[in-house]
Amino acid sequence: MRGDALVGAKFSGQAALTARLMMYVLMAIVLMAMDHRGKYVPRLRAQADYLVEPVYHLVEWPVRALRGTWSFFQNTQSLIRKNSELADQLLAQQSELQRLVALNEENRRLRALLDGSEKLDIEFQFAELIDVDLDPFSHRVMIDRGKDRGVEVGQAVIDGNGVMGQVEEVNLHFSRVRLISDPNHALPVQISRTGLRTVAFGLGNTARLSLPSLPREADVREGDLLVTSGLGDRFPGGYPVAVIEVIDRAEGRMFAEVLARPLAALDRGREVLLLKSLPAPPPTEELLPAEAQPGLIVEEGADAASTTGTDPPADSSEASTDVSLMETATEVNEIGDEASLETDQNIGSGDGDSENPATSDSARVDEANSTEQQP
Amino acid sequence: MTPQRDRIAPIVASLLLALVLSIIPLPELVDPLRPYWVALVLIFWCLETQGIITLGAAFLLGLVMDLLTGSLLGMHALGLVIMTYLVTRFRPRLRFFPPWQQALSVLALLVNDRIIVVWIVTLRGDSLPAASYWLAPFVGMLVWPWLFLLLDRYRGTSRHRVHS
Repeated sequence: MRGDALVGAKFSGQAALTARLMMYVLMAIVLMAMDHRGKYVPRLRAQADYLVEPVYHLVEWPVRALRGTWSFFQNTQSLIRKNSELADQLLAQQSELQRLVALNEENRRLRALLDGSEKLDIEFQFAELIDVDLDPFSHRVMIDRGKDRGVEVGQAVIDGNGVMGQVEEVNLHFSRVRLISDPNHALPVQISRTGLRTVAFGLGNTARLSLPSLPREADVREGDLLVTSGLGDRFPGGYPVAVIEVIDRAEGRMFAEVLARPLAALDRGREVLLLKSLPAPPPTEELLPAEAQPGLIVEEGADAASTTGTDPPADSSEASTDVSLMETATEVNEIGDEASLETDQNIGSGDGDSENPATSDSARVDEANSTEQQP
Repeated sequence: MTPQRDRIAPIVASLLLALVLSIIPLPELVDPLRPYWVALVLIFWCLETQGIITLGAAFLLGLVMDLLTGSLLGMHALGLVIMTYLVTRFRPRLRFFPPWQQALSVLALLVNDRIIVVWIVTLRGDSLPAASYWLAPFVGMLVWPWLFLLLDRYRGTSRHRVHS
């Protein structure tokens, strides 16, 4: 726009052009502001998305065709190898599944003991990622399921290893999913070892999540598994999210700098699962007063955990009782939500194998104790 | 009416192809190098034709790009409108630049566009892109002469078809 006045004075055409530029710039800015604030534009946008949908198919088609031919020409040997690998994997997972059955049984028993409500079953829906590259500034992907398959905004998306993100926009045949690594995404999580609740923020990097609100003295270790806490009503609780990798407890700061590595293959996964949104849950344990429901102990344990986290380190005996309380909480939550968690935890924490059986035993004892103490 | 349509058809076709190229998946390593195809094709048609690539057309194209990439509605539109404005303003000079000088101007236009985008993104509060984000304009510059030849040839054949 250098020399605007000069050229504008010489040619009235140039002046008109500049005027039109100003008009369009203004229009663009207003549009962006409205889109950012979520006023009117998003609705319009959802309509307009139908118009551009064919382009996605145009892109998807050659990619599919290429992949199809590739798999056609893959030699038998590699297929056989892959097959045997898959068979091994299946065997391993089946044995884990057996353990899961036992855990499920135990869970039901414990829940009955606590008079808690039955956990709702969650429905899965398969979806595949569509190969398109979206805006590089936000971490989003597209999946090939839309309104026609009953996808709804807010559904959680997971892959075989952990939580990936949530459905943000639904169109007729596709939906956009915001990944947990998006800088604008926050995910309520809890540390599965201690039950400590916090929030995991995306950093715009598929290999890192940030946990900025953990106090410096919080009981966090490298290798701790983060699972969804089920708060916020978007993600069902108990799904593995990330493993803590870096903890920086610098002096003179209130909060530790904790980074975690997401478990889901955010940048290379293809098949994903959509979790059917839970039907409106009956008044949960969390909302009822303590006297009304003994099941609340679970939540109180977790609360105790988060409060001890913020306090300056107490002396060790006190801390240990709190820790046992926390373990009670986690144990119950864990079994309640997802038995597969336990296995993940073993993988996640390096020294978990040796500790786990002992802690879970003691936790069960503690749990019995705390149930007695509560009334 | 018909000649007008014949003039517009190749423009629409090439822009559509550019749109497809701009969202087609690339390996993560190469992805930051993806040139801004839509802008390059737009610059070409803006230089070579008159009165078709108006600011309004660029704005609409930008909106389509925004919808496709799911970015903030108006972000690409703003960039493309400003780019079209600059090209239209300096069209007489740009047209008669030797190829290398033209490529340098294209680089300047593309970098300018990226600056606008980064400005919007920071205003919005998203994180800044990696340094590799600035490589794409240079790739665009390198691609420009070849794209120019290709499109020029394409235009030649389609024009020829119209007249025969």
